Amino acid sequence: MTDTVTDVNTGEQVVFWVCAILAVAGALGMVLSRKAVHSALWVALTMINLAILYIANSAPFLGMVQVIVYTGAVMMLFLFVLMVVGVDASDSLIETIKGQRLAAILLGLGLGILLVWGIGSGLVASPTVGLDAANDAYGGNVEGIANLIFTRYLLVFELTSALLITAAMGAMVLSHRDRWKEVASQRDLSIARFRSGVHPGNLPNPGVYARHNAVDTPAILPDGGTSDLSVPQPVRARGDERTLDQVDIDEVRQITEGSGE
Amino acid sequence: MNVYTPILVLGLLAFGFAAFSVAAATVTGPKRYNRAKYDAYECGIEPTPQPIGGGRFPVKYYLTAMLFIVFDIEIVFLYPWAVAFDQLALFGLIEMFLFIITVLVVYAYVWRRRGLEWD
Amino acid sequence: MSPLLASVGAETETAFTMPSINYYAIAPILILFGAAVVSVLVEAFVPQRGRRPVQLVIVVGSIVAALAVTIDLRGTRLVTGEGAIAVDGPTLLMWGALLVIGLLGALLMAERSIDPLGDAFAPRASALPGSEDEQEFTRRGFLQTEVWPFLLFALTGMLVFVASNDLLVMFVALEVMSLPLYLLAGMARRRRLLSQEAALKYFLLGAFSSAFFLYGAAMLYGFSGSVSLVAISDTLSAKTGEGSLVAIGIALLMVGLLFKVAAVPFHQWTPDVYQGAPTPVTGFMAATVKIAAFGALLRVLYVSLGGLRWDWEPMLWIIAALTMLVGSVVAITQTDIKRMLAYSSIAQAGFILVGVVAASPQGLASALFYLVAYAFTTIGTFAVITMVRDASGEATHLSKWAGLGKKSPVVAAVFSLFMLSLAGIPLTSGFVGKFGVFAAAIDSGNTWLVIVGVVASVIAAFFYVRVIVLMYFSDPTPDTASVVIPSAFTTIALTASAVMTIALGVFPQWLLDIITQAGVFIR
Repeated sequence: MTDTVTDVNTGEQVVFWVCAILAVAGALGMVLSRKAVHSALWVALTMINLAILYIANSAPFLGMVQVIVYTGAVMMLFLFVLMVVGVDASDSLIETIKGQRLAAILLGLGLGILLVWGIGSGLVASPTVGLDAANDAYGGNVEGIANLIFTRYLLVFELTSALLITAAMGAMVLSHRDRWKEVASQRDLSIARFRSGVHPGNLPNPGVYARHNAVDTPAILPDGGTSDLSVPQPVRARGDERTLDQVDIDEVRQITEGSGE
Repeated sequence: MNVYTPILVLGLLAFGFAAFSVAAATVTGPKRYNRAKYDAYECGIEPTPQPIGGGRFPVKYYLTAMLFIVFDIEIVFLYPWAVAFDQLALFGLIEMFLFIITVLVVYAYVWRRRGLEWD
Repeated sequence: MSPLLASVGAETETAFTMPSINYYAIAPILILFGAAVVSVLVEAFVPQRGRRPVQLVIVVGSIVAALAVTIDLRGTRLVTGEGAIAVDGPTLLMWGALLVIGLLGALLMAERSIDPLGDAFAPRASALPGSEDEQEFTRRGFLQTEVWPFLLFALTGMLVFVASNDLLVMFVALEVMSLPLYLLAGMARRRRLLSQEAALKYFLLGAFSSAFFLYGAAMLYGFSGSVSLVAISDTLSAKTGEGSLVAIGIALLMVGLLFKVAAVPFHQWTPDVYQGAPTPVTGFMAATVKIAAFGALLRVLYVSLGGLRWDWEPMLWIIAALTMLVGSVVAITQTDIKRMLAYSSIAQAGFILVGVVAASPQGLASALFYLVAYAFTTIGTFAVITMVRDASGEATHLSKWAGLGKKSPVVAAVFSLFMLSLAGIPLTSGFVGKFGVFAAAIDSGNTWLVIVGVVASVIAAFFYVRVIVLMYFSDPTPDTASVVIPSAFTTIALTASAVMTIALGVFPQWLLDIITQAGVFIR
């Protein structure tokens, strides 16, 4: 059995120290952030760094899955859940069961100590085998996984689709609202719009020749006045609409008619 | 160590490019701020007001998220299959097709029950 | 070579050998899985009105077909799928039990004439409780027929769960079995908020316990380099003195499994879920999950960890004793019949654990008998509960059962039979079951556990008999619920479970013979 501690080369050490520090920093950031969304982004940092560590430790499949599933899917679901629940929803911190938090901390610490001690002593007692033998058996880590999936775990692999089906169906059942009213088609909507008597088509664009933010610049009508309709209602409501003075109108005339210059 | 050098160089290049772009934009770009410009987007659409209930999104996004995850997990299985494709040969192809078809069944369900429509 | 390049440079062709799978031996699994997929397609392509009959045909047909294959497979004893699936006597016995109970559960779920509004499930689980949408869906008689594929997927998972010879297979099966149950628990037609709360609690705690199971499996893999039950057992007998990884692994694995059987420190979810879930689902779940989880627990303990029985037995002694006592004592204080039965199911899990810790072929046999007997009685019990109703739906408060014996003597008598069986009174299946596990425990020298068990049985008998007394020896009040006459679906399920409860109590020998022939787990 080779002593794996001295086996580590400089490159691996550099990767380890960079990624380990970033991963721990991400974990700390997650716990310490006040905003839930920030916490979620910190977790993403931790996950990515763990993925790099996995790859550096001869487990490229695990590293890729870490990125695809955790950093991609799970993180997205986290963010998503936060948004459904409400980003700034301040949870009540009042304990409903007395002493629950203290008990949880004590039990959690106890389990943590037990696990660290147990795994630690277990690792000291058992020799480190490494992944080389397993990875070389089929010509690579990913190939090895593929061979396992398509032999011993073939049935389980096919069975996994049951999980995926249940998940998607469950999401449909729980969140998709069936309609019992007729849905208005585009034709219906169009007819309704013309019937309603308000302006049926597009509103005029903002002043496209403006040298400022187009949103807040009204279009100039042929008579030299400005069209209020061309500035979005919210901008108008906030009083952000630009007023045009003669200088602007001259400027536009200069551009359109090519006079001067 | 040698094999990591290109990766390291690539990483440095990427970092350098990002740093340069940000710095260059700050130095050379004109700065004419007004209130509309401070808004999140300048494309003429006012940033959507907060959804009802204070920062919550409608639950129908949930379905999209779940569907994404379902197919994301499917990809996890495609990856080793693709890498070991030459070893697994026809058998692997058939089994993978079985798997994909089974998962597609739920796609058909979601599609037929109007889960993909947005209203 | 660097890990990144290892996979690129691997041009050396290693011969891939196709796995040898005995497809007939796992045909029951394949039939149910195929049927589940087809029933998803039915949900997709068959119009609203036609779905229910088509689904019923698929569900009943596939379960019966799987059962027929299971019976035909009797005597089979093999390991297939490159060692991942074990089809042996106990597997086939549990498959048979799961399929029969699954069929009865499906019949209960198909019942539509008890509730004037429709079946036991919300017309659309996504409609907000009390909303205009919900009322409109109810008025139009919509049915959430997705419950049928969920039922089939859950059964598929259970079948794989009891047959898995590998911790990884077991974990996936655990999830396949649990996910649909989480969903089904949240789909009740009435008291929907309670039902949704139940589903959420079940899901969160269930996911948590699955994580424990996975962590435990990882520890055992770290110790033995394999997740195969047999390989772990071999490593255990070869290596000695490196106990900590194994001890942690077993403990965490047990957390995951004991959660599913609802043993005491991990039982907190049971009352809420049993109460909130639609009653047919509660009955189905209470009976089948118990069988499946105990099946897996037995296999792990007997096949893989048998060499370490001195390490895990003390832990399970304590858990069994606690489970029996806490379940029985807390059940006394319950006023809701579904909650009472939830605590009763916890106590029953304790009795079965007494058989499990016997760690002998006799213990295995007695636990199997107990499971089958308990499953039939339980599903019958919940079948009765679906029928006892008042204007607001099921009348689950115990006070509404007062004098039911005078209003509906037959149903009250059947329910009393189930209560007596759960209490373990002679001439019912519960007595034979209890006798078996206690005898096995005494043979293994666990006499003190039997004493605890007997004490717990006496306590438990109190609240079982209290229901009978309530039904027969008090007068009906205006609040007393009435019994709704069900259609053939519930009648068949109820009759079958009542007949089995008596048959296994009076003539238990035929099932005992089958169990003896089933023998022990294959290694």
